[in-house]
Amino acid sequence: MRYAVRALGWATKIFWIMIIVFSVTSVYSVLNLKMGFGQPQIFLSDEEATISIPLFINNTGLYDLSELNITADVMDYNGSSVAASTTFVPLIPKGSNIETLHNISISLDEITSKAQTYLFNDTTFNVDISVKLNFASAIPFQVSMNMTIPWGAPLYNLSIGQFSYNYINLTHVEVITPISFENHSPYFSVEGLMQVEIYNDNDNGERLGLGVSDLNVPSHYGYDGQVEMIVDISKITGSGEVRFYFETSVFSFGPVVVPYG
Amino acid sequence: MVEKVQTKSFARKFAPRIIKAALLVVITYLPLYFLSTFIEPFQSFFPWYGSLTNIFAAVFIVFLVVGVFTSGTIYQYVFGVARGLVSMIFFIYVLNGGIVALAVPIEGMGINIMIDLRVILAMLVLVCLLGIGKNVVQAIDFVSAKVEMEEL
Repeated sequence: MRYAVRALGWATKIFWIMIIVFSVTSVYSVLNLKMGFGQPQIFLSDEEATISIPLFINNTGLYDLSELNITADVMDYNGSSVAASTTFVPLIPKGSNIETLHNISISLDEITSKAQTYLFNDTTFNVDISVKLNFASAIPFQVSMNMTIPWGAPLYNLSIGQFSYNYINLTHVEVITPISFENHSPYFSVEGLMQVEIYNDNDNGERLGLGVSDLNVPSHYGYDGQVEMIVDISKITGSGEVRFYFETSVFSFGPVVVPYG
Repeated sequence: MVEKVQTKSFARKFAPRIIKAALLVVITYLPLYFLSTFIEPFQSFFPWYGSLTNIFAAVFIVFLVVGVFTSGTIYQYVFGVARGLVSMIFFIYVLNGGIVALAVPIEGMGINIMIDLRVILAMLVLVCLLGIGKNVVQAIDFVSAKVEMEEL
């Protein structure tokens, strides 16, 4: 009986020592783990845009890290996925330094089909990020976060005002078209060119004239300008549509059709 | 005269136990104190921990002291078993069954952290069970030795 008691006593002591040593060395290892992200780079192909974020992990701890899985999912206002990404690193041995890339792929078809929404309407994107890893092959660890990123429309409330006319001669008139919008985007300025075309409401929609204006609208500023164009008086019908084409440093988009009259 | 002798023998009997109990209380309380100090900066994330640890420390120390004062009787092992059970329940409760989940709000973002400590919990429960087993075996040994003594 005494041997059994002694054996149980030793077993208890050994287990306590194991638990304490493992706990202390685990905390030490976690404190010595360095993880960070580098400067993102953007790569474009025919079908998708890829944002590549360098990820470095310096495991100077005493235990291996395994099954590192980083996922990010960007969803738009109605819950449909805009971008998804996964990075899996099977093993980060102790004392090693790993550098990898976390690639976020954005389908250009998806973006183009929804461009009208993103250019003219403020919205929000939901971003779900999850990082999972297995510490020392014994302690699975997971961090997940949910962020809401506000999206400000760069061409918010694009509208045309009342046309004004300067008669040049009996056949032609200068049409002045007031145009306004607000750049709600917190991320970029709208810099580039805006081409404006006016069409009448004849059967074929005949083009009356064309004008171009420079754009330089910083974030959170409004644009209030005008475009002048010479138009043949005989073709003016009093109603029709104005078509806008935008060629900026960030996006190219058109035509945007705004009816008048 | 008789009273003096009785007091002396009482003091001789209990003085070492009091010293032993005091030492054990200090040895037991120190790790809990350091653990509380270490966890204090993160206490806002799990506020239940502080009060729970204090309750556990109080119960554990009571069982420890009573166990020391009842040494040489069967109650020593009874309190040893109780101590093991309390420890086991405390570990299971404080580690939330092995899955520790925390919600940390940082700059308006909700960050959820989940740590699977089932391996550590299993080891802790095993240690507690070994302690309980040891006390049970010791109790059986004690009773059988007492019966043998009485038979002799």
